[in-house]
Amino acid sequence: MRKIIKATAALAAALTAMPALAAWEPTKPVEIVVAAGAGGASDQMARMMQAAIQKNNLMKQPMVVSLKGGASGAEALMYMKSSEGDPNKVLIAYSLIYMLPLSAKIPFNWRELTPVSVIALDQFALWDNSKGPKTVKEFIDAAKAATWPFKMGGTGSKREDHVLTVFIEQKTGAKFSYLPYKSGGEAATQLVGGHIDSNVNNPSENLEVWRAGQVRPLCVFDKERISYTAKVTDTQSWHDIPTCKEEGLDIQYLMLRAMFLPGKVTQEQQEFYVDLFRKVVQTPEYKDYMEKQALKPIFLTGKDMLQFLEDDDALNKSLMTEAGFVAK
Amino acid sequence: MSDTDIEIIVDDPTAPEDDSPAVTSGRAVDAVVSLLLLALAMTLGYDNWRTGIAWDATGPQPGYFPFYLSVVLAGASLYGLLAAFLSRKAAEPFVTRAQIRRVMAVFVPTLLFCLVTQFLGLYVASFLLIGGFMRFVGKIALWKSLLTAFVFTAIMFVTFDIMFDVIMPKGPLEAALGY
Amino acid sequence: MEAFGLLLHGFAVLLTWKTLALMMLGLVLGIFVGVLPGLGGPNGVAILLPLTFTMDPTSAIVMLSCIYWGALFGGAITSILFNIPGEAWSVATTFDGYPMAQQGRAAEALTAAFTSSFIGSLAAVLLITFLAPLISSFALKFGPPEFFAVYLLTFCSFVGLGREAKHKTVISMTLGLLLAGIGMDTVSGQLRMTFGSSELLRGINFLVAVIGLFGISEILLTMEERLALRGHAAAISLRVVLSVWKDLPKYWMTLLRSSVIGCWLGITPGGAIAASFMGYNLAKRFAKDQDSFGKGRIEGVFAPETAAHASGTSALLPMLALGIPGSGTAAILLGGLMVWGLNPGPLLFVEHKDFVWGLIASMYLGNVVGLVLVLTTVPVFASVLRVPFAAVAPMIVVSCAIGAYAIQNAMFDIWLMLGFGVVGYVFKKIGIPLAPLTLALVLGSRAEDAFRLSMIGSGGDIKVFWSNYLVGSITTLAIALLFWPLIDKGLGGVRLLWQPGKV
Repeated sequence: MRKIIKATAALAAALTAMPALAAWEPTKPVEIVVAAGAGGASDQMARMMQAAIQKNNLMKQPMVVSLKGGASGAEALMYMKSSEGDPNKVLIAYSLIYMLPLSAKIPFNWRELTPVSVIALDQFALWDNSKGPKTVKEFIDAAKAATWPFKMGGTGSKREDHVLTVFIEQKTGAKFSYLPYKSGGEAATQLVGGHIDSNVNNPSENLEVWRAGQVRPLCVFDKERISYTAKVTDTQSWHDIPTCKEEGLDIQYLMLRAMFLPGKVTQEQQEFYVDLFRKVVQTPEYKDYMEKQALKPIFLTGKDMLQFLEDDDALNKSLMTEAGFVAK
Repeated sequence: MSDTDIEIIVDDPTAPEDDSPAVTSGRAVDAVVSLLLLALAMTLGYDNWRTGIAWDATGPQPGYFPFYLSVVLAGASLYGLLAAFLSRKAAEPFVTRAQIRRVMAVFVPTLLFCLVTQFLGLYVASFLLIGGFMRFVGKIALWKSLLTAFVFTAIMFVTFDIMFDVIMPKGPLEAALGY
Repeated sequence: MEAFGLLLHGFAVLLTWKTLALMMLGLVLGIFVGVLPGLGGPNGVAILLPLTFTMDPTSAIVMLSCIYWGALFGGAITSILFNIPGEAWSVATTFDGYPMAQQGRAAEALTAAFTSSFIGSLAAVLLITFLAPLISSFALKFGPPEFFAVYLLTFCSFVGLGREAKHKTVISMTLGLLLAGIGMDTVSGQLRMTFGSSELLRGINFLVAVIGLFGISEILLTMEERLALRGHAAAISLRVVLSVWKDLPKYWMTLLRSSVIGCWLGITPGGAIAASFMGYNLAKRFAKDQDSFGKGRIEGVFAPETAAHASGTSALLPMLALGIPGSGTAAILLGGLMVWGLNPGPLLFVEHKDFVWGLIASMYLGNVVGLVLVLTTVPVFASVLRVPFAAVAPMIVVSCAIGAYAIQNAMFDIWLMLGFGVVGYVFKKIGIPLAPLTLALVLGSRAEDAFRLSMIGSGGDIKVFWSNYLVGSITTLAIALLFWPLIDKGLGGVRLLWQPGKV
């Protein structure tokens, strides 16, 4: 039975893919390199793409998820850097490609890799315990009035969550002590347990505890509200969360999710992957995942992507410098 | 219903003799290990001192814990060193000559196996190790050794690389076969 | 009866053909490694761990725990038939098990061993089932200071209660903590102790170290010894099984006593070894004719096996609930959990209900299936020992290498494994215990992070570790345990003052 399905699928693929017959294709299993631990957002995304590619028969070779989360993801970056010319490895990158080289002096530059495409943007929100203040204004006032600085939880040190915390401090004058946890999940449960006062998790990281009514989203760090209007909790959808600007806290930050190949691969190889991920973002699996995790869909390649990366790099660099996180 | 009592007998013709002379005493090894640990503690301690061992606004710096741990390690190794020298107990042999010969008979092939894995991939190395070890150390018939080596390696390959997608290091042979 | 509902849910998670098949596979592999010389529980689990990397966490842990039970059963086979204890805690089983085999009662002894393993594990699983929900109810009370206090308690109890020379325990533990610190420091985001090497950047993986320390070093140690063996073969018939089971009620006191001892020593890091000896000795002390022990008495098999298995199984409770492994194997399972992104600790019960209850349900099922399996297949496994060691040794080396490589796809790790193999061999020979090293490797960075997060939270005030009853009592207990030898002496002195005549 399975053979028949495979055969028909292969036939269908052969019919539709006729003109591109001569193009390059991977001959070995392709590794998706994840720069984070198991179960994190990157890992989940990698597994979603693995499933989408296999179910929709987008590639003949299988995809293998390879977790390289050591040293806060630096392991994955160094691994990609040392795999020059190997077209069977794709990195699923996020803002660490700009930040890690600055904060930990890792000898890495994303310009040494081959960009394929930007496939999503991740939001950040300000959350507090559902027993805490109800609006951004009340929250900031309470933070200012507190005798002990409010505790802000986040993932990792000198990274996006930490930078956001410093920015909230600079914009409002309130003081926070930042607690770097190992994962967003840990920051979420610690918020529920009342060991921290707030966190700046991605929507997906706090989704479960939000649905359980244990935490409250105060605002989203974006210019516009999240577009998904389906109810997530009994009363609220992602769209119901105000932006931080609406609430008088003018900070915006979005994090890229992008695919990279190692340096020095051929143009055909690059094109194969651009094409592959173009197909991936059209699959129902991808669309479903974007909504579930409240990610912002986007697809950039080629010059647009380079422009985006340069701008994003400059922005992150200035944020890191202002926060004082650049290692001397 | 059979409460049979067939004896299972396995002999070990190359077993180490009991009266083999000692290569070195446990006390000497104790002292050497203590010295090595002391050196390690000092290297790590220095590196951590460079990283920063102070206590700043947000609690201890990254080198704080490892630094004091290396101090403790150094202290314990020094104590071990003294204890080894001052011990009045009769020196027990660390290992006898016959024993070390057998241990080396496993260790050296394992070392070679790691080297071969680095250059020719794990499966070729595995075949060579099992076949070679059975033939030369175990004195088992050549065909049995090669067959076992081949079957075991093949099972590993199918299980890991094909069924479970756990990719092992490979060399030129696998590349020639298209993997 | 919240536990009951959750447990039923666990069974529902578990009852798929795939999981059952994995369970069988795990048990067979486990018995296999349990019977093979030079392997055993922790080593077997460490080597077979990579097989499970591509599975979902629940299937993986089910298979791993079945490997573990299989290995425990396998250890009993060699103890009774060949007088070779596969693990230190099977030593007590050989006292009466081997004489029974010599008298031609091997089948009876094996049935007794398997049955009592089953009873011991069952007692422990029942305990876990009813204690687990209690733990999850105060899970959310655990913040960084509480976590640190618990880790401190574990470290202190090792130093204070360990039987090895104190400086050797300290060496082993500090070495483990130092190795755990290599790589990136999560709290500050800075690199340390990497000496500019990109291989050391990712740190030293706990499982790679364990495979070397236990797997490779065990092969080297085994080679030193005479490997000749002679033993009895036995097939177990239904008649023997039934006659042993019929007599079970007679020994209820022995079984109950051993179960309680086992559970208690499993939860406190005392371990299965102590449990099996204590079970045996107490059975002997309470028996009417003490002289018949050691000459092939069935209670001499029941008592240590029940206690060892109760303790081996209940060791999983502190591992799941607090992130503290109660035994070597539990430590490796803990390392496995972290590979799948599950953080053991009280929050596990809140965040991953499916997983926890699936595991607990698998303990019930795995034990039933395991009992049936060993009872029917003993002759097959006993003959595994006929395979020459010259064939087994290189296969184990290859499996170790595959295991070490698969964890992070790094050739460097194979070399690291070899290095740890040598270290393990030397340490074992000069009496430096390996358990504190492995414990420190797996808990080290978590303990340090917890301490530093507490410090950030409290603004550098050390009093945070006495800020409420929960954390205060754990911290105080930890410090008391560290100085236990002194306190014990002191108490002895006080007692001397009271009753000078008696001593």
